[in-house]
Amino acid sequence: MSALTFTLKAAPAQRVDCSLLTPDELAEKSVADIAAIELAVGNTVERVDSLFDISGNDVNDIKFSNSCDKLDFVGRNMTSGKITIDGNVGAYLGIFLEGGEIEVNGNTEGYTACEMKSGQIKINGNAGDFLGGVRPGRRNGMTGGVVIVTGDTGARTGDHMRRGMILIEGNAGDYCGSRMISGTIAVLGNVGSHLGYAMKRGTVLLTKAPSQGISANFNDCGSHTLAFLPLLFASFTKLDSQFAKVDSFSRVQRYAGDVGGIGMGEILVKI
Amino acid sequence: MIINGVTIDETFAEAFPMKGTRLIITALNAKWAMISAQAFTGFATSVIACGCEAGIERELDPSETPDGRPGVSVLIFAMGGKGLAKQVETRAGQCVLTSPTSALFSGLDNPEKEIALGQNLRYFGDGFQISKMIDGKRYWRVPVMDGEFLTQEKTGVHDSVGGGNFLVLAESQAQALTACEAAIVEMKKIPNVIMPFPGGVVRSGSKVGSKFKALNASTNDAFCPTLKGQTKSDLSPEVESVMEIVIDGLTKEDIDKAMKVGIQAVCDLGADNGIRRISAGNYGGKLGPFHFHLQEIMA
Repeated sequence: MSALTFTLKAAPAQRVDCSLLTPDELAEKSVADIAAIELAVGNTVERVDSLFDISGNDVNDIKFSNSCDKLDFVGRNMTSGKITIDGNVGAYLGIFLEGGEIEVNGNTEGYTACEMKSGQIKINGNAGDFLGGVRPGRRNGMTGGVVIVTGDTGARTGDHMRRGMILIEGNAGDYCGSRMISGTIAVLGNVGSHLGYAMKRGTVLLTKAPSQGISANFNDCGSHTLAFLPLLFASFTKLDSQFAKVDSFSRVQRYAGDVGGIGMGEILVKI
Repeated sequence: MIINGVTIDETFAEAFPMKGTRLIITALNAKWAMISAQAFTGFATSVIACGCEAGIERELDPSETPDGRPGVSVLIFAMGGKGLAKQVETRAGQCVLTSPTSALFSGLDNPEKEIALGQNLRYFGDGFQISKMIDGKRYWRVPVMDGEFLTQEKTGVHDSVGGGNFLVLAESQAQALTACEAAIVEMKKIPNVIMPFPGGVVRSGSKVGSKFKALNASTNDAFCPTLKGQTKSDLSPEVESVMEIVIDGLTKEDIDKAMKVGIQAVCDLGADNGIRRISAGNYGGKLGPFHFHLQEIMA
């Protein structure tokens, strides 16, 4: 069996809802059945085979080739298997992901890993705003799993995040960790302004101090050796990420905030 | 069966099912990991009155511990899961949480049967405690005066065996003690077992029951040398001292191995050093379903 590959014929004029093209949705479907599936495209529907050339037959190993940023909801509700995307991809990649693996060789739009529950998403590129975040009006963003971004992330990374881990090898945008409830965000590069805005709990781990300093809403708790950090770094070694190569450290400067709220979040900066 | 002049009785040690777990205690250095482990395993020689039986399994190199610091692995056993959970929690709270620089981890994974480790200790943090999920396991960071106490939330429980034993019958107290010390040195090399009594040796072996209604165990008079003329003694005239080594283990096979190396070490000293017999605590089936036949183990 070879990977079930959807090669985009041409960049669509409207956004395409790809949530029906997951291992779970396609299980036990023939290629003919898959070709006949109708996807929402803007305010109309189109058959899969009118949008994509289809090859291969392994529904547990799905590939999107020649992808573009109009393909939304890829990997929605997925529980197992793997999706690989060559090219950019649209919004809501991996929304409600419960298991399996998604890898993107390109950039993603907003709300990647939105309300994700488990599994792993790796973005070999940049991620848009609200990575690991929450839909407007909802209470909990990402609640589990691991997201790795080799490039940069947009604004509001981890907005309302409740559990899980977001590892950013590049830079994080403004309002990183905003309204965060729990979980861990680690950044190897720089962070934007308003880091940890309205953060309740959780950890933002930085390998270097923010150039603009720490927000006044975070209080300096001093320098410490924290025993959990070696365990965290040990867990990184299994990942295909620059984080696996980071020398483990446990000495950090600890800042607690956002004191405008309950102030139980923490920003840890390597010292 | 006779080994190096030492008679191996045709009898069996009688042991009983227990619930057990392994914990890993780490600290800034090996000294403080050991201090914490000794505190945790204190007053845990026998379930008869301690509520559990616990002991130090071995020291751990930093490369063997979750947080990369020197550590000690301890085993703790109780008669049931609830009792084990209570003992683990109170001992962890009073002896490990309080010990400078310590951290506490599970050393035994069993997702099907777990008990709380730091799950309730976290409340000592008074709301400042922090949870971290790492590799699917939850840890608690509890702020304490020397920094943070890190503890895993739960530990696995293993169906275990308690009360494996053998008796060393010697011509003198000193010879019995020397032989038991030699046995303990070898038995400590076996993983998954502890010898919970002081130094691994018990001089007051018990039998099931007592003439006093309040007691469910009493002195094993058949092996008390001073009672040779007063009770139905199991001792020959030349035996002047008997000591016992009790073994708890995660499996029957682990206890088999420990008994074999322990008895062999005693027999290596042999009759020339005053060792006369090896026997075992056999209570006629009253104590438990696990039987360790001495001659089969040494065959």
